[in-house]
Amino acid sequence: MNGQLVLRTEGLEKRFGGIVAASGVSIAVRERELRCIIGPNGAGKSTLFSLLCGIYRPDSGRIVFKDRDVTSLPAFRRVQMGLGLTFQTNRAFHALSVRQNLAIPSRLQVAASSQAAVDRYQYALKLFDLDPASEAPARQLPHHKLQWLEILMVLAAGPDVLLLDEPTAGMSPDETLQTARVLQSLNGQGLTIVVVEHDISFVREVAQVVTVLHQGRIFVEGSVGEITANADVRQIYLGRA
Amino acid sequence: MDTLGLIASILYQFGTNAAFLLISAIGLIVILGMMRIINLAHGELMMMGAYTATIAFHRGIPFPIAAILSFFVVAVAGAIIERLVVRRFYGRELGALVVTWGISLILGQTTLVIFGPFMQAIAIPAGSFALGQFSFSVYGIALIVIAVLLLVALWWIYTRTTFGLQARATMQNPAMARALGVNTDRIYMLTFALGAGLAGFSGALMAPTVSIAPFMGQQFVAPAFITVVVGGAANVLTGAAGSSLLLSLVKTPIGFLFGAFLGTVALLLAALIIIRLMPNGISAYLQRFADGRVGR
Amino acid sequence: MSRLIALINGDEDLGRSVWFWLAAALVVLGFALLPLWESEFGAYNISFYLLNIPLALGLCMLWGYCGVLSFGQVAYFGVAAYVYGIIAGNMIGNNWGPIVASLGGLLACAVVGTVFGYFVFYARVQAWIVPILTLVFTLLLETFLGQTAGYQWRVGIVQLGGYNGMTAIPPFQIGSHMFMGYSFFYYALIVVLACYLGCRMLVNSQRGKTMLAIREDDLRAELLGYDIRRHQLVVFVLAAMLAGVSGLLYVQWGNYITPTQVGLLQAALPVVWVAVGGRERLLAVLISTFALNWFNYKLATQGNQYAPVYMGALLVIVMLFFPRGIIVTVAEFFRGRRWKAT
Repeated sequence: MNGQLVLRTEGLEKRFGGIVAASGVSIAVRERELRCIIGPNGAGKSTLFSLLCGIYRPDSGRIVFKDRDVTSLPAFRRVQMGLGLTFQTNRAFHALSVRQNLAIPSRLQVAASSQAAVDRYQYALKLFDLDPASEAPARQLPHHKLQWLEILMVLAAGPDVLLLDEPTAGMSPDETLQTARVLQSLNGQGLTIVVVEHDISFVREVAQVVTVLHQGRIFVEGSVGEITANADVRQIYLGRA
Repeated sequence: MDTLGLIASILYQFGTNAAFLLISAIGLIVILGMMRIINLAHGELMMMGAYTATIAFHRGIPFPIAAILSFFVVAVAGAIIERLVVRRFYGRELGALVVTWGISLILGQTTLVIFGPFMQAIAIPAGSFALGQFSFSVYGIALIVIAVLLLVALWWIYTRTTFGLQARATMQNPAMARALGVNTDRIYMLTFALGAGLAGFSGALMAPTVSIAPFMGQQFVAPAFITVVVGGAANVLTGAAGSSLLLSLVKTPIGFLFGAFLGTVALLLAALIIIRLMPNGISAYLQRFADGRVGR
Repeated sequence: MSRLIALINGDEDLGRSVWFWLAAALVVLGFALLPLWESEFGAYNISFYLLNIPLALGLCMLWGYCGVLSFGQVAYFGVAAYVYGIIAGNMIGNNWGPIVASLGGLLACAVVGTVFGYFVFYARVQAWIVPILTLVFTLLLETFLGQTAGYQWRVGIVQLGGYNGMTAIPPFQIGSHMFMGYSFFYYALIVVLACYLGCRMLVNSQRGKTMLAIREDDLRAELLGYDIRRHQLVVFVLAAMLAGVSGLLYVQWGNYITPTQVGLLQAALPVVWVAVGGRERLLAVLISTFALNWFNYKLATQGNQYAPVYMGALLVIVMLFFPRGIIVTVAEFFRGRRWKAT
């Protein structure tokens, strides 16, 4: 069901001063996969996303996106190749209106942008129930709608691989479930998704493969069932060094 | 060939250039390091210091006392400016730049209206001496010594006084400092006053070497700002020292060969190149270097 | 055609209703009929209030729409002015002189702006560094031009003139017609209106929306696929060329240029005009620039020494109490919406 490797890394290393944010991180994501990345705070999940997108450069290691070595490619070029990212703290344009937020990405011609991408955007727009003509400033939206707005902005740019950093943070269980369902549908429509999440119900709902990070390294990978049954994973969440 | 004299002359020029840059910029850097804002009224504060010293000197007060008096007079002015205007712009760097520029216009033009376009000069204190065919001004050497002493004094303030400790805490994490009982409002005011006072003191020190006029601060603006941009905001002392030394390394040979103006142009070009390599300034670069050596 | 209307009547500037356009048409008509109530001397003064507008519009786009603060726009004013003086002065007698010189002035601004902007934006420096470095640049330019007094400082037959500056700069001409007095007024009016409309269309376009995105959150904009450094550079060069347009109009109006035009006091003025009007709205800046230049002139004719003090005080007051600008605040008030101060 899943296809080629669309995004992979080889031995990523990243230090910030004395802190090891990533060490020997090698992951491989297939087309149309829905991967969840979990791990205790400080495990290096957001750093990994920043490295994948090009916000940070790794100290060593390689990042390969769609069979192309993008390790030294600037962030905006990776986005133009079909990569999308939502941030851990919501980074929609809060002072601008909803209409402006959605109008800004719309002219982008992402290299691999296709009718499928357009369809995915329209689908998510309907399901997330946001009015693309609304002049209300984004900051007036309730929190979950603001999160959905950022997802829509990124979808409007037509990515094939979407990285989401804790998209359901601060959402109620119903809103979390709704988000999970929409992401699953988008995945079914061909979007490769990698999500960093803390919410275990979300992970159970959507994940096909789960990667556990701990102290900058990959701790274990497996299916949801395997990970939740894994006693060591519970231990690292409880703070065993 | 008078090599001893030549070497001494080169060292002297390097030293006085570095001292000039450091003295011009130190007030700015203190404020930048704490509040992350650039005080565009810096040149006018230096001018106020120069005027204070000049007026005091011509009333019979010895120059060193006049210079110290300048520190306090301008520090008080700085505290007033901070209380009234600047404190509303913390966190709004660009707004702070604009509003302090407005203040500098007011200060400069008001001085012109009150004191007229010219002011009595101060002769350079002490004399000069010669080594071979090269002459050196004693005052120049004094400025080098004072620059070093300023750094030492600031180091002492930041590491050995309660104020310094609270200031460093506020620089690193204002919210946390406040939660621990530090009166951050007062720290900001005192820091701005310190920076202003240093600017005034610097203006007084420079007074004998330039003509004193209401817009005399402008000639220090370019070198001071370049020094601050290259130094960066991460650490006041390493930024100030590192930047002055590095820029003097550029300015001295070029100034020596091609004249003072091209020396300053070379500073701007050097700054443009340096920020490509170290976008957050020397202090941030040194900080990362130091951090990298610590850890598991 | 409807796209053109959308570009002119978009929502990134003030005034979209029929009433507004009617009022604007009346104002333009009033200016067009100027000879009816102003002498040629009056037209000469009003030309001066007008010609500074492109300079202000450039800074408005750069600062208000793109979030990049430049304190040294006047440097490009000076670059264009001096280059025009040099080229036109060397082509005296040639009817094409002023046109070639004008193009040369604009080209010089574009080149200098590109080189300078490249170093600044591609270095990814913190925001406060841009105003500082642009200010230093214009100060150094003033110092350089100030010491060009000797006879050896000339290009062709044109002397740079040191602190006395360059004089006897030829006016603009098309064919054999020289633009002076009333005809200069109309020429300046058309140029300024064209610049304004061009800027207005730009900020309403997709590129304008990108500018807003970069201003609001440049990291988010980059992660939507925008080459933010290139966008910033383009706007910077555009603003430089707009400043150059003002510089050209200035020397074509007054026939002289001195280094003080790129100095510290002059550099503050565009910042005052833009801050007082409201940096996020081009029309507000157009109005405030005209009004403040008129005000400054009135002060100067009365021998008032306090002009810079008023400018400085105005800047401080506006930044403290009208952060969005006086005209923008008033406009929003009349629209019935109170926007929170930034």
